[in-house]
Amino acid sequence: MNIDFNTAATLAIACWATGSLLGLFARRAPALKLPGMVLSLAGSMVMAGFIAFYWALLDRPPLRTLGETRLWYAALIPLVGFLVEYRWKIGWLKYYCMALAGFFLGINMLHPEVFDKTLMPALQSPWFIPHVVVYLVGYVLLAASSITALHNVYLQLRSKKNETGESVSHYLALLGFVLLSFGLIFGALWAKEAWGHYWTWDPKETWAFLSWLAYLGYLHAYRYKIDRSKLQWYLALSFIVLLVCWFGVNYLPSAQNSVHTYTQS
Amino acid sequence: MVVVRRRWFETPWEFRESALFTAVALCIGFVIEYATSGSDIALLRLPGNAIALSLFAVLVLSIGLGFRNTPAVKWFGGIPLGLSLIVAIAVLSLIGGILPQEAVISGSLPARLGIHKIFSSWPFALIILLFLANLGLSLSWKLIPFKVQNLQFILFHAGFWIALSCGIFGSSDLQRFVVPVEEGKANNVGYTMDSETPQQLPFSVFLHDFSLEEYSPQLFLYDPHSDKLLMDKSQATIDVRKGTTASWKGVEVLVIEYMPSALPGKDGIPYLADHSKGIPFAKVRISTGSTQREAWISTGSPTLRPDAAQLGNLYLIMVPGAPKSFRSAVTVQDNQGHAVIANLEVNKPVNFMDWKLYQMGYDEKAGRWSKLSLIEVIRDPWLPAVYLGFFMIMAGNILFFWNGIKRQEVAS
Ligand code: HEM
Repeated sequence: MNIDFNTAATLAIACWATGSLLGLFARRAPALKLPGMVLSLAGSMVMAGFIAFYWALLDRPPLRTLGETRLWYAALIPLVGFLVEYRWKIGWLKYYCMALAGFFLGINMLHPEVFDKTLMPALQSPWFIPHVVVYLVGYVLLAASSITALHNVYLQLRSKKNETGESVSHYLALLGFVLLSFGLIFGALWAKEAWGHYWTWDPKETWAFLSWLAYLGYLHAYRYKIDRSKLQWYLALSFIVLLVCWFGVNYLPSAQNSVHTYTQS
Repeated sequence: MVVVRRRWFETPWEFRESALFTAVALCIGFVIEYATSGSDIALLRLPGNAIALSLFAVLVLSIGLGFRNTPAVKWFGGIPLGLSLIVAIAVLSLIGGILPQEAVISGSLPARLGIHKIFSSWPFALIILLFLANLGLSLSWKLIPFKVQNLQFILFHAGFWIALSCGIFGSSDLQRFVVPVEEGKANNVGYTMDSETPQQLPFSVFLHDFSLEEYSPQLFLYDPHSDKLLMDKSQATIDVRKGTTASWKGVEVLVIEYMPSALPGKDGIPYLADHSKGIPFAKVRISTGSTQREAWISTGSPTLRPDAAQLGNLYLIMVPGAPKSFRSAVTVQDNQGHAVIANLEVNKPVNFMDWKLYQMGYDEKAGRWSKLSLIEVIRDPWLPAVYLGFFMIMAGNILFFWNGIKRQEVAS
């Protein structure tokens, strides 16, 4: 099992790395642009193929442990980068996205997963896939939004004007917020079926609520015409709350009696 | 450069006044909490809470509509105060998300300030009430006059208003009890999680049968000195099946025979038995370097000793698989003669009158052999209202997504 993952991950990282290099050289030699794009895309395809293979092997969707969800991020984050390039003609985001994807795979290589087929009864629910997938995609969009915002901050510090960048970080945050809202409500509806009540202020729920509030605050500040360039800082930092929610919760004192800490890898 | 700054309390009020107001509200909340020594807020039950909530809604809407041009009211329903209150809710949630929310020694300062039950404390209640007022005012202005383009706003904000207010005002009507039932017996008494006082229920639960299915058992190498289970080289948990192989440093194990349900025989060879009595047995071939031997191992049960194979200081053991599913066949019955026969399972609750019944747990020490089932029964008359709010938010979400995509076209 291990070997298969390492092969797939190494292959994906190699695709992204050479794809990125070709993409960078393509500024001088435009003929390299297409092969660069194809290779970058191939990296994500390799991961998608591996996920499909792993799913079949496990007999359950690989969405249970943190390590398993990192596989999905690794496959999806570069795709957001490619979409942003396609949509807004912003090319640099994809490099950050591929680097982040490589980073996630790196974590998984350093901490091999325990290969475990079991799925506890509470997770055996029709809600499992929609709830987790909606959150996954939301996190991916918000990660891309944060990276964009960070890049915008960097450009501001060098006093460059950059309106497209600010609208990209905004729309990514908006779409991410929509998915977070769905994830939160799907989670509540599922909790009612599985644990009897839709909301119990469990630490995981509390942090999911906090992340949602962070973006709710952003949207209202944006609406109130607060200086948009200042909000880039806010967007860049909001992702930290998401990170705590994603894997930090397990380490907080409040997590002792959480029913949702099984995602620990 | 001369910056002309608005002075404090100069109209229109903005963030500074909002932040100050919110901070004062938080302080008042903590002072009340301290003065009442962290005792619980008495909440009204139906119909009192429904009446109070309706009055509150009518009050907010009429202030919003009657005084829509008054600066103070405009400020009270505006985004600056809304944002300040969101920050306050975030701060309180942060406390609740970091500190364990559990019973502490009463009388200590944290206990008196209620930070270990922050979500039912006075500061939280006060901020939520202000939040509902703020949200309600902003809603009143978008509701009347009604415009189709405001639909997204209305769905989001009214949905959230309904879900939040009904969830909180209705929490006093939420009843949840655990009903322990033994096989072949009925019970009509429930217990709450934190108090031992039994509660008479309007129905009884009879347990016909409790059954539990397990995943395949697993092979481990056990080190009694460190009390640790050693993982196989491949880092995979090893499901025991005929032909399964596993390897640890210098030890190769092959499963040559597997019986999912068997009983120990006289000559050390197990024989197949019914699922209700038998336990898993496996015959393994253990190879260490040049030597090779075979042994029967088993998982054991509350009445049968497990069989392990000794390997120097270590033991090769077979551990029962994790629970895959468990269910209770029950009959639920009230005194008016209504009865329902049902299978309760995790994630598959069953409705009875206005109660919902959940498979919660069992005697974990006995595992598969448990004769006891823990059934949770819950009644929440406010649930439809909260769900209405959820569905409105989701509808608003779809519109928001749609408009977001559309607006992107304009931006690019
Ligand atoms: C604190 C109370 C709140 C106030 C005072 C408030 C007020 C507002 C106002 C004035 C707008 C601008 C509407 C427009 O220009 O048409 C707005 C937009 C919005 N609000 Fe709220 N809101 C509050 C809470 C919430 C909550 C709890 C939610 C989520 C359920 C929410 C979701 C939204 C969304 C999604 C938008 C659209 C943002 C955009 O178009 O960029 N708001 N809100």
